[in-house]
Amino acid sequence: MQETRHQFREELKGLEQQVLGGLDIVIQQLDRALESVSYQDVELASMVVADDDRIDGRYLEVHQGILSLLARQAPVAGDLRIVAALLHVIRCIERMGDQCVNIAKLVPLSGYESPKDKDILDALEKMGQYARSQVSQSKEALGSRNVELAQDLVHQDAEINSLNRFIFRRAVEVGDDPDVREWAMFMVLVARCLERIGDNTVDIAEQVVFVVTGLFREMADASTPNQRTPTA
Amino acid sequence: MIPPESETKGTSEMSAAGSPSERAQEAPDLSALGVKEGAGHQVQVSGLHAYYGQVHAVKGIDIDFPANEVTAIIGPSGCGKSTMIRCINRMHEEIPGARAEGSVTLDQFDVYGADVDVTSVRRVIGMVFQKPNPFPTMSIFDNVAAGLRLTGLKSDNLRETVHKALRAVGLWGEVKSRLNEPGIGLSGGQQQRLCIARTVAVEPEVILMDEPCSALDPIATLRVEELIDELKERYTIVIVTHNMQQAARVANSTVFMLDGELIEHSPTHDLFTVPKDERTERYVTGKFG
Repeated sequence: MQETRHQFREELKGLEQQVLGGLDIVIQQLDRALESVSYQDVELASMVVADDDRIDGRYLEVHQGILSLLARQAPVAGDLRIVAALLHVIRCIERMGDQCVNIAKLVPLSGYESPKDKDILDALEKMGQYARSQVSQSKEALGSRNVELAQDLVHQDAEINSLNRFIFRRAVEVGDDPDVREWAMFMVLVARCLERIGDNTVDIAEQVVFVVTGLFREMADASTPNQRTPTA
Repeated sequence: MIPPESETKGTSEMSAAGSPSERAQEAPDLSALGVKEGAGHQVQVSGLHAYYGQVHAVKGIDIDFPANEVTAIIGPSGCGKSTMIRCINRMHEEIPGARAEGSVTLDQFDVYGADVDVTSVRRVIGMVFQKPNPFPTMSIFDNVAAGLRLTGLKSDNLRETVHKALRAVGLWGEVKSRLNEPGIGLSGGQQQRLCIARTVAVEPEVILMDEPCSALDPIATLRVEELIDELKERYTIVIVTHNMQQAARVANSTVFMLDGELIEHSPTHDLFTVPKDERTERYVTGKFG
């Protein structure tokens, strides 16, 4: 018995590399978005907004590639699961890119010399580290088909969610200074963007489990956020 | 008109019809075979082995074909899938040196029972072949009627039965004005549907299809696939195909065979998305073939 469909396999591998590369671009965008928040760097923030075209372009390339592959090669079984997962993951990448843009767009709005709250800044910094780590881990889990690594993302995401709630509570109690309150509200929005990026990495983790096991289970159910549904 | 033996010798129809003496006797009806009429009928294959002389082609297969469902059988060339379905209606034993062991039952009826009339078995379990094989000298009408005549069935209203069979395969509109023209003059796809009409005309309970679309163009293939979907309302269908997409489109469940063994039998959706056996995965994804 000889192995066949070399062209198909090369195309599928190429698409997967494009998707994994898309996660690298998200990490770059996230780093710059967080830096622009930390240093109130409006110019860097504008670069993040402009560079979202790279992620959108990657989304279109992968989407077209997958449509072409489905039409011409009719993948089945494990190949079909990978193709379906890549289509889902590239959508997550596009959304994470949008969240980086949302963060960047908040930078000029939050004021150049506005007073800040250290607790919120520290929590945001931690959230950023977790979000970056999660994107990186989701890439590794997908590339290596590592279910354990994928499932671990749920635990990390719980940390991000906890910090998000902390920032919201802190913003409510931040004081009477209108400038500080306004700044804190913007930081709540930044935290929300990071929380969504974390959720997208959990979505990618679910796709990794699907690719490996063929079973789809929501790891974190939005309707019952305190419960974790069992994984495959 | 029944063609002279020399004209059709070697064709599947003559094999299916049995000897002239068998044809002369009136074939028993379903109740005579112990099979209930009307309800769906399931085929059970147990411990089936098939041989061509010393060659062990099918190696102990157990499988149920559920009533009113389409079961597809896939596998590389030479894996024994055609041999297996030819054992179901006892076509395999027509080949010199070929033999089969094991059990095949239609509901509770033992197809290989001691006093079973082979002709009746082949009427109840009809077969459609890879290449459309209308009788070359017969008209469209006679091609369909030949199925009835060859199995020795007496039809009170032959014309009505033929028309009904042609309607059942969606051919009526295309041929109603030229029923007396040669069947061989139809297109490949029409010829295959004509052969299916011939099978359907004798009112079988199970239809075996051995790569029925491999000689057809894509449009004719889709017509036959639509027909299979309609026919499963009334018949239990087993289809051997090399076209995995066809299996995915038409079958409720799919069987993967390799080297004479049944490797996996799963709902079609599962087999093409999450196959249980690594060998199935490797075959359907084209990693070997």
